[in-house]
Amino acid sequence: MEQQLLVAAVCCLAVVTFVVVAMLVRQRQTTKRLRNRIGLLESGVGVRENEIAHLVTARLPALVQSLNGRPVDVPGPLNPRLRDVPYGRHLDKVIEMFSEAGGRAKARADESAKATLKAMMRGVQSLANEQQLAISRMQAQHDDPDVLEGLLKIDHMNAQLGRRAQVSAVLCGSWPGLQRSASPLTDVVRGATSRIRDYLRVQVHSQVSDAVVSRAVEPVVLALAELLDNAARHSQPNTPVEVNFQPAHNGMAIVIDDAGVAMTTEELKRAERLLAGQETVDINRLGDPPQVGFAVIGVLAARYGFHVSVDTRSPYGGVRAVVFLPTGLLTRIEDRPKAAVAAPAPAPAPARREPVPEPSGAPVEQQPSLTAGGLPRRRRVSTADHNTNAAPPAPAAAPGRPAPQPGSVPPGEPVRPARQTAAGLGAWQRGTRSGRATVSHDSEGKSPE
Amino acid sequence: MSPPRHDRALVRPHVVTGGRAHPTRNIFDLVTLVIASRTQVAGLSPEKRKVMELCQGGALSVAEVAAHLALPVSVTKVLLSDLVDSGHIVTRASAAEPAEPSDHLLREVLDGLRARL
Repeated sequence: MEQQLLVAAVCCLAVVTFVVVAMLVRQRQTTKRLRNRIGLLESGVGVRENEIAHLVTARLPALVQSLNGRPVDVPGPLNPRLRDVPYGRHLDKVIEMFSEAGGRAKARADESAKATLKAMMRGVQSLANEQQLAISRMQAQHDDPDVLEGLLKIDHMNAQLGRRAQVSAVLCGSWPGLQRSASPLTDVVRGATSRIRDYLRVQVHSQVSDAVVSRAVEPVVLALAELLDNAARHSQPNTPVEVNFQPAHNGMAIVIDDAGVAMTTEELKRAERLLAGQETVDINRLGDPPQVGFAVIGVLAARYGFHVSVDTRSPYGGVRAVVFLPTGLLTRIEDRPKAAVAAPAPAPAPARREPVPEPSGAPVEQQPSLTAGGLPRRRRVSTADHNTNAAPPAPAAAPGRPAPQPGSVPPGEPVRPARQTAAGLGAWQRGTRSGRATVSHDSEGKSPE
Repeated sequence: MSPPRHDRALVRPHVVTGGRAHPTRNIFDLVTLVIASRTQVAGLSPEKRKVMELCQGGALSVAEVAAHLALPVSVTKVLLSDLVDSGHIVTRASAAEPAEPSDHLLREVLDGLRARL
């Protein structure tokens, strides 16, 4: 019995020992596993913390810089394995939302800055225009060369001022303003010359008869002025800036050569990008001092359909800028002096002295031929003109006019309107538009004799 | 003097005269007559060509030339004195032969003035 008890006790002890050992072993294993796991988690937390720190210290600042227009690359996550876990994706999402919000805010700020600048420049522009009118009026009124000298200087400065304002406004998305009539290419180039500082150095060599269509005059003048200004600015003060016209099969090229310094490859790339006019101009990225020339040319070229390149070297070592105007922007206009010569009313002196009973319908036709003072303007008499004029007096008298008594009308009298009628409304319009083309030698005829 | 439409002329006077305001000679007044003495216009600026074209047919007064060019008279004088210097035009005083105006013409002028005023 005692022996049995002993055996049982030993067995119990063995079992207990076994259980305790087993538990100890298990405990040990669990502890080890937990320790490993804690280690893993700790390192995971470390990685994430580093990642957050990286986000705050490197990624977001870089993003801010790139939003501010600096050429900075935004770095990716430190640990590339994080890309595939939700944590990394969330961080990327933060970056994304941040840049989106930043971009939107920047666009809004840009828009409002442009709108403000545009409105301000419009004010400056209209002031410059008004000033130009005042200057022109003074130039017409004062005959003193000393006064004129001052006026020419003021006019020159005002033209530059107006151009600056115009350029800034165009950069902000405004129209160039000032609608002009179609103008000869030579005048367009010289108009551009009027608006730059070193206008005396610009030499226009060839002459062409083509003109620029009305809507493109001001933009082309502006673009040319920027190019000419660039050319003059980047060359020695004693070197000329040459302008030549090169007819092409589908347009006309205006070639501007300077003898200054050539552009570096980097500058050329920038110029090419800007001149293409494909990207919207960021007024915050123009540099200091702002380089607006190429940007504004690019905007105008893209909007009006001409092409500008600066990638050729001029034979004088400087830059050759080529403005290509496609046929669509070109037209032909009649030479003004020729129109003036063609239209004169040859009124022989005796005819003028005749007291003329004015037909009631006549003033309609005579209206444009009034001079500013209402007095007859003296005109050269061309006998050839006179002869041809004498022939067709009938058409003028014909259309619903209360019988102008053909017999009593002096030969020079109804002849001019007749000729104009025959020449067609177009010619008549041109004549009136040129203002000087028509003459009134009977404007006083209404007075009772 | 210029009509308003020329107030915004594309080519400004300082380019037309090359920045000069003083004519090389002081022989012009409003009614001085100018006559072209040459036909070739090579090498002239567009405005000078126009002057030559205008003066080819006969005498024009300075005022008329200015009106045709739509330029101020003082600017026109600079151009004209250049052309005189280069021998392209000659001038003639306007008062050379004042053909005595007939009574009729005077009466017409008087009537015209009365009608205006």
